[in-house]
Amino acid sequence: MPGNVVRARVPITFSYKNRVGHALEQYINGLKEKKILGVKCPACKKVYVPPRTVCGKCHKPIDQMVEIGQEGVLKNFTTAHVTIANGEITDVQQPYIIGLIKLPGASSLISGIIKTSSVPEVKTGMKVKAVWKETTQGDYNDLAYFEPA
Amino acid sequence: MNERVAVVGYKQTKHTFDSPVARERMIYELVKSLFKDLGITRDDIDTFIFASNDFTDGRTISEVYTVPRIGSFMKDETKVEADGLNAALYAYMRILSGLYETALVIGFSMAGSEFRVPLTQAYTLDPVYERPRGIINFYSTAALQASAYMKKYKFTDEDLARLTVKNLQNANNNPYAARKEPTISVEDVLNSKPLYLPIRQAHVSAYADGACAVILSSKKAAKKFTDTPVWIDGVGHSMDTYYIGDRDLLGMEHLSAAAKKAYKMAGIKNPKKEIDFAELHTNFASEEPVFAEAMGLFKPGSGKDVVKNGDSGIGGALPVNPSGGPLGANPINATGLIRLAEASEQLRKEAGKNQVKGAKTAVVHAQDGPGAQLNTVFVVRR
Ligand SMILES: [Zn+2]
Repeated sequence: MPGNVVRARVPITFSYKNRVGHALEQYINGLKEKKILGVKCPACKKVYVPPRTVCGKCHKPIDQMVEIGQEGVLKNFTTAHVTIANGEITDVQQPYIIGLIKLPGASSLISGIIKTSSVPEVKTGMKVKAVWKETTQGDYNDLAYFEPA
Repeated sequence: MNERVAVVGYKQTKHTFDSPVARERMIYELVKSLFKDLGITRDDIDTFIFASNDFTDGRTISEVYTVPRIGSFMKDETKVEADGLNAALYAYMRILSGLYETALVIGFSMAGSEFRVPLTQAYTLDPVYERPRGIINFYSTAALQASAYMKKYKFTDEDLARLTVKNLQNANNNPYAARKEPTISVEDVLNSKPLYLPIRQAHVSAYADGACAVILSSKKAAKKFTDTPVWIDGVGHSMDTYYIGDRDLLGMEHLSAAAKKAYKMAGIKNPKKEIDFAELHTNFASEEPVFAEAMGLFKPGSGKDVVKNGDSGIGGALPVNPSGGPLGANPINATGLIRLAEASEQLRKEAGKNQVKGAKTAVVHAQDGPGAQLNTVFVVRR
């Protein structure tokens, strides 16, 4: 049995410029105007957030954009003590909350960061509202986080 | 056309966190030793199917350099970019077609030592929404699922810790397991490093270096390999949307659908009574009650009682992961296939200290994607 294993270092670096597609493009443009947009399936009436172009269940195209409410209910959450970026799990100084939120008018739950003055304050069923960046520029971070309503 | 397909041979490596040999040698030695056990050569295999992943291998069409190692040189060979149980599903269908009598299925990875598992997981996330946002990943998804289950059914951190210890005790008696923590206590699990609560480090499966090879054959060809074939009597497969916010993380309708399809094929009406044990591909300890319930093995929300009564333990009403499951070893791509090998070993009464007495029918499960987006279910019998 070999004692020392010789390893070849084989980094892979690639960078893509994926088109986000018609539906997400409108969503992102909506964020710039501090709006949350979804799409409504003409067949099953489900409202998907973030929007997409096809309802998997009905297998039909969906293009009817609808605006979603910004104050909703926290359905589920986890208290994160780490972040994962570039495959590394890193401890954070201050635990933070990742939640799934039901916004009025949406069938999907939207994921987001929940900010409160203290972590134990967070409870499922609590009302939360969207908080925007002061200056929006048309990216996902425009919708900065959710806080108790 | 062939009508019935059997598992006629299987072997797994002793999984480790740092393999002393390269993957090529690991695979070669595994396959050769399986062939030797069965007294066969590569000429006895009609078709070869890999389960691997270009990201876990670090190159595209990654099987090209492992082909000579498994004996498929100049033969019919393909690869499935998913768990090994999916590869077994392809092999099963190839044999059913009647074009092939025998198939070798192999899954492997060096998830213990050669790459960062969360990075390869990240490459499976939606590139234009989830990846740039950096909130949803395999860990946070598991935490949201666990949290939903625990709140709805009053399943406590202590229940989850007990379930973790149950699996690690089984893993401790499994000669192939990488993770050996014979003295781990409920307290240790409760105090392990918090990741995304309720998920802690101790709940995470043991990403490991390892491989598993399984040989399937038609009924006609089975005699050549063994007197004790394990029959694949039902299969099911189903995939949910990749948006976490559109999934029923508790009901897992897609897993339920895959299981129902497999049960129906196998003529199983009451899985709680007719299934003797289950081998489930759980990436996190918290997935066990959710999957088992979605598959109809226990009553929805009964996780707390199952843990309290030891129903899913080796001597229990319906043992789950008597092998220790992926908490003992999770060599990605091989993990679900290992469930099939472990179940076959049980059904042939070769499971040693972890033997489930009188086991005749088992259900085997594999998953891919965050929060088990894709599921494969087999019903196997002896
Ligand atoms: Zn629809």
